[in-house]
Amino acid sequence: MSQPKMNRRDFLKITAVGVTALAGAQVIRRAEASEPTPSGGRQWAMVTDQSLCNGCGYCVMACRAHNDIPPEITWNPVLEAGQVGDKKIYLPRPCMQCSQAPCVDVCPVKASYYRLDGIVMMNYDRCIGCRYCEVACPYGARAFNWKAFTEQNPAVPEWGQPEVARRPRGVVEKCAFCYQRIDRGLALGMTPGVDPDATPACVVVCPVGARFFGDLNDLGSTVSKLLKARTSYRLRADMGTGPRVYYLSATEENA
Amino acid sequence: MKIRLKLSKLSPWLAWLIGLGVVIAAGVGAGLIVFWKGLSVTNLTDLIPWGLWITIDLSSIAVSAGAFSLCAAVYLLGLKRYQPVARTATFIGLIGYTMALLTLILDIGRPDRFWHAIVYWNKHSLLWEVTMCVTLYLAVLVLESMPIFAQFEWLKTRWPKLAEKMSHVHHYAPYLAVVGLGLSMLHQSSLGAVYGVLKARPFWYRPDISVLFIISAVAGGMSLTVFASMLSARLTRRASVDDSLLEGVAYFIGWTLVLYLYFRFWDALSMTYTYQPGRTEGLQLLTQGPLSFNFWVGEILLGIVIPMVLLLYRPTRTSQLWRMIALILVVGGVVAYRWDTNISGLMIVLSYLPGEPIVGYTHYFPSLIEVFSGAGVVAYGLLTFSLGVRYLKVVDHRAMEAHVEEKELAEHATAASTILNVKRENVKRNA
Amino acid sequence: MSKLERLIIAIMFAMLAAGITLVVAQAQTPQPPQPTNSITGDSCVACHKDIYDTWQSGAHGQSLTDPVFAESWNAQGKPGACLVCHATGYDPATGESEAEGVVCTGCHSPIPPNHPTDNMPIDASPDLCGRCHSDPRFATENWKLSAHYQRSMTCSVCHDPHSAGMKSVAGAINTSADASDLCANCHKGVMQNFPTSKHAEANVTCVNCHLGFNVGTTDVTDFVSAHKAPDHSFMATLDTCNKCHVNQMHAPGESVAAAAIAIEESGGTPTPLPTPVATPTPLVTNQPVPVSPFGFAGLAGLLGLVGGMVLSPWLERLYRHLNKNGGE
Repeated sequence: MSQPKMNRRDFLKITAVGVTALAGAQVIRRAEASEPTPSGGRQWAMVTDQSLCNGCGYCVMACRAHNDIPPEITWNPVLEAGQVGDKKIYLPRPCMQCSQAPCVDVCPVKASYYRLDGIVMMNYDRCIGCRYCEVACPYGARAFNWKAFTEQNPAVPEWGQPEVARRPRGVVEKCAFCYQRIDRGLALGMTPGVDPDATPACVVVCPVGARFFGDLNDLGSTVSKLLKARTSYRLRADMGTGPRVYYLSATEENA
Repeated sequence: MKIRLKLSKLSPWLAWLIGLGVVIAAGVGAGLIVFWKGLSVTNLTDLIPWGLWITIDLSSIAVSAGAFSLCAAVYLLGLKRYQPVARTATFIGLIGYTMALLTLILDIGRPDRFWHAIVYWNKHSLLWEVTMCVTLYLAVLVLESMPIFAQFEWLKTRWPKLAEKMSHVHHYAPYLAVVGLGLSMLHQSSLGAVYGVLKARPFWYRPDISVLFIISAVAGGMSLTVFASMLSARLTRRASVDDSLLEGVAYFIGWTLVLYLYFRFWDALSMTYTYQPGRTEGLQLLTQGPLSFNFWVGEILLGIVIPMVLLLYRPTRTSQLWRMIALILVVGGVVAYRWDTNISGLMIVLSYLPGEPIVGYTHYFPSLIEVFSGAGVVAYGLLTFSLGVRYLKVVDHRAMEAHVEEKELAEHATAASTILNVKRENVKRNA
Repeated sequence: MSKLERLIIAIMFAMLAAGITLVVAQAQTPQPPQPTNSITGDSCVACHKDIYDTWQSGAHGQSLTDPVFAESWNAQGKPGACLVCHATGYDPATGESEAEGVVCTGCHSPIPPNHPTDNMPIDASPDLCGRCHSDPRFATENWKLSAHYQRSMTCSVCHDPHSAGMKSVAGAINTSADASDLCANCHKGVMQNFPTSKHAEANVTCVNCHLGFNVGTTDVTDFVSAHKAPDHSFMATLDTCNKCHVNQMHAPGESVAAAAIAIEESGGTPTPLPTPVATPTPLVTNQPVPVSPFGFAGLAGLLGLVGGMVLSPWLERLYRHLNKNGGE
């Protein structure tokens, strides 16, 4: 075997420089890991008025029916969130559709991705079921299909009819702002948030009208006007996830 | 009467193989149940989606780290005499990474889609990076192990040309070592960063967790290599070791443990200052709660402090028994560290409702199916290593690679001739 | 055979193979339902079997075939006036109806030409239901007095329009056999105190006071005979109280008011202690689930065993040393 032209010291030097460069490139790439959602066009947002929500759970049933969700999983649970005076306050929690979503950052196969209108979509054909997104979500909004859902959905047809395919065993699923209704409604010329057929099922079914949906980029939409007129908050906004679900607090006056 | 005769004919080797075979069979059975029925047969939940299998996966990759560190020492730092130890470590690395892949196949929800990570990239995802690096590094390990397989007698007689070609791969060992070093440093620390970048889990969200993972991996990997070598040498004459080499590695492991303890100390201490919801509770779980035995006894006392003392104190380092005890304790500590890290972060359930986050706790204990399939994977590792020792001379410090010996001789010859020339010069001058 | 001939035969074989594959593949691909212009009530079931099944077993589906109705209708000589509601599209001039009973097109019409691309129309307001349920004997007039109507709620908030029954919410808090479950589901605030009241002890539920059902019966036939419907104004008036307390109205010392005052003075209605229910360990607890001391003891014991085995030669030496010294 012929002796290599360079000696070991030079070889090590070059390697060290190379590895450092590689590491440096990684650091730079990581720094831009969380690009915010490409904006423009529409930006969907959901607003829930907690002074009206009475915890009836109709939204849970409608969501279950329209998205064919098994009874063990809830995309949009209604949680108890304290009390104002002697009235209990409730908080329905869909997926926050974060603009800086931890789940999109960590998915190894990019099965979670941003849509231009702000919805964080799931590609159920690509998901390998590693559950990293489930671990990463600060809101616990994701659910893994531990088993296949083969039975009749108890919420159908009383609360609606399935509009999307059932997910198979072994993938993680979550709320997607009923994108199927939004897309179909837009194609038919309807306005999501105004026309019920183009609006997420949970918003439509609410019997007390506590939920609103619309385009934040449209200053005349209900959600824009509500957020301008009333104080709102988002969950764990301190974490920098940029959620798109807003809550209008219940106060002593309006509870 | 007949049964007694059969038992007396059972050699220890055969009994070992049969024992491992039984465990592997149970593991295969459990694995098939998992593929058939899905992950609902485990005790994993949406709150704790990662459990025993991920711990085994992380631990396998960690204890395979001896391969990259020893190969880097041999080929990049010029410590040629450790080459036989590096050889053992490479083989252990190969086994370890296959164990990790087996466990991962079990653990992901869609095993049929395991190839997605290779085809669909998300460069921002640390888990993607780990998958890619593990896959590439497995290829590196396969190449680095080819000279080992080339020693297989049956291969040498059946396909001598192939065996020779495989043996020649050793010429590229330095380049493979460089690539292996780079890949390993990336993914060993990325495995820690998989936990460390999650802002949703305050107990994990720190930058030093990747450093802890790689240091513990180096310590654990080398420890397993030396321990396995020593154990094989005690149990069979097919394995022979040069104790001075192993003592040298053990000394290095001792100092690695010092570094590891230093980092762990500051890592834990820094978390005690100021209450942060989620993080403080995590530390409490670890130091005073259900994980306290694992942490104080398993990780710190038995995993770091006692082995560190044993390996740095010459009388115990030179003693076979004490050295082996210290090394196996290090490996145990590394496994305990990964279990504790994984479970402590997931046990804490932070509420996201408005106001101060309320901390709740959940619990997890592996189900029988998880235990059996995990044990099956570990038994597979033990089996492959045992077969390697018996048939592939994996632990054999007599058989340094041919060309490395040439090189050593050549270097000695060059040194010798230089000295000779200088002496001649002196003689000429003096004459 | 020349090369050209061979090529031509090869191409013919290739096209044959491709053609067969294509035909087989087309046969496998399920054709999506084509939009059709002639959707009638019968063709809905092809895609909406679920809804069809619930509809068929409910009151809407059996509006013409229900035995009680059929008997009465036949006895009266099949008057057309009934068919205005009990059939779809009844034309009094011709005496013909589009369909028997209340079918899909009774509420979902006109059918758009390219359904399913376009949705079926539906008017969710009480006006649609009111087309039949607007008889003064029925609910709609009273409904307009209720707070529910004032808050723009529709009939389908409580009623499933297809099965013509009540909606059911999974996990509704009460387990009463009547519709009070549904009331309690939204009116959680009220239901906090009601279960411990005297009324609840007497098995009075929401529908008894607020809809006028008789206590102890849940039979909807309380009302259906003679087309009566419960009072959907949900207002409990003096008449409601009088259904049970008429004798106590002005009876000295026994009036409802006196009874209430007596209870108040004696310390209030005792709140019964909640019945302890065996709950499994919830998934999320306030404190971490501790390891049992036996677990720790076992682990420590194992370690002690190993340590003892390792240290035994030295311990033996120490023992002999001590004995030697002690012996001297």
